[in-house]
Amino acid sequence: MTIRHPLRDLHVSLGARMGVFAGWEAPISYTSVIEEHLTVRREAGLFDLTHMGRIRVKGKGATELLDRLVPKKIAKAEPGSMPGPTAFLNGDAGFIDDIMPYRLGEDDWLLAVNAVNTDRDRRWIQVWKERLGYHDVTVSDVTLEYALIALQGPKSVEIAEKIGAGLLADLKPLTFYTDIEIAGQRVFLVSRSGWTGEDGFEFILTIPEAVELYKKLVDAGAKPAGLGARDSLRMEVGFVLAGEDIDEKTTPVDARYWLVFDYNKKDCVGCNALREALKQGASKVRYGVKLSKGERRIPRRGYKVYVRGTDVEIGTVTSGSYSPILQRGIGQAYIEPRHALPGLKVEVEMRGRRVKGKLVDFPFI
Amino acid sequence: MTDEMIVEGYVVKTDRLYTETDEWVKVEGGEVIVGITDYAQKQLQDITFVELPEPGLAVSAGESIGTIESVKAAAEIYAPISGTLSEINERLEDEPELINQDPYGEGWLVKIKPSQPIEEANLLTAEKYAALIRERIQ
Repeated sequence: MTIRHPLRDLHVSLGARMGVFAGWEAPISYTSVIEEHLTVRREAGLFDLTHMGRIRVKGKGATELLDRLVPKKIAKAEPGSMPGPTAFLNGDAGFIDDIMPYRLGEDDWLLAVNAVNTDRDRRWIQVWKERLGYHDVTVSDVTLEYALIALQGPKSVEIAEKIGAGLLADLKPLTFYTDIEIAGQRVFLVSRSGWTGEDGFEFILTIPEAVELYKKLVDAGAKPAGLGARDSLRMEVGFVLAGEDIDEKTTPVDARYWLVFDYNKKDCVGCNALREALKQGASKVRYGVKLSKGERRIPRRGYKVYVRGTDVEIGTVTSGSYSPILQRGIGQAYIEPRHALPGLKVEVEMRGRRVKGKLVDFPFI
Repeated sequence: MTDEMIVEGYVVKTDRLYTETDEWVKVEGGEVIVGITDYAQKQLQDITFVELPEPGLAVSAGESIGTIESVKAAAEIYAPISGTLSEINERLEDEPELINQDPYGEGWLVKIKPSQPIEEANLLTAEKYAALIRERIQ
């Protein structure tokens, strides 16, 4: 079953090619993935991310509960701020999901989670809530109550000013306003955040308000951009995608995803295993594979990586894309530790042939 | 009389023949020009790379003669007819997006000198290809 997109008609009217992502209908592109990507890097693009999960956790003890479920010290975050990203880890410090928490109040949180894990994350919190005895905390999946649209690009502030929302320029990164009017639309939450490596704002608001705000942003110059461009944008800055680059068998150490944890976090689900993983080191290491100049083939999931000129297999690609900025294919791969060397010249096996590249650290651009 | 039909939003030119694998075939002099259809380029979307063999290669109908890579996926190109590859579209090396922009014109892929009469190659008329598109969308 695919969830029909609540803003479907709007996207189709704008020329969207709809696809399916994590059981949701979603706009994949409007004009071209490459064009939309470049517009986000140079001007501003507008994404509809309504498919992403939104979980509200509130009530007496909510902060304490969540603080026990993540390897980051989120309890000290101020209301109005996003102390993320962080993660839910399993007993082996493997990723259940990476999440972005918003502290709405003293004991009131909104968690933005990967669409593919929304249900799983909600049940995870619920199970631990009961196990640890936080009976006054409520955990609700509020995904369908709101839309999420993201304005991303160097012209984001300019476009915000054009629609009379100049106050957004004062928002510090990873902070937000709640219950605010933006260009005549009621917005539940607007944050200075994003997943493209560019400046921008993410708006959480009800569906009817979202339709209106979306149109106003497009009229002010924001270009509709789909999930295709979103993927190549995040790839250029080396962000991981849950289900592709991180999963239950991958730790934050393997992924070198340092942002999700604090070294001195004492107690959390997965913290002991994470400490053990830090002591033991990684069993595989995430690095970027940057193909040679002009090499426009795309390293895709499952492709093997070799030391160049040899049959020594050192790793596997977990996700890849075409970089319009570098004009070549780029990807993320897990490399066995002895060969996890940035600068190492490699070959990627693609459909029977070896394509040249090298290992690099993130970001690619 | 126009030289094209629009089938469920996809352009199908009436001045050429087609394969079930979404190549088009246009007779020109003693040779055929081969490309992929509007339907095919729309499925692939942003094409980033085209791999074609060297001219002079002998090909059999149905044999893979190259690959088209897009941001979304990679797809094989199949020879619609047996013969010898006489020319490839060199522009595609630096401008693979020509296939998206003009799949029936500037985005042509290869030229083949056929070694069999075209009638024997089991190609589809424009009407039959249009019907195929409609079937797929059902």
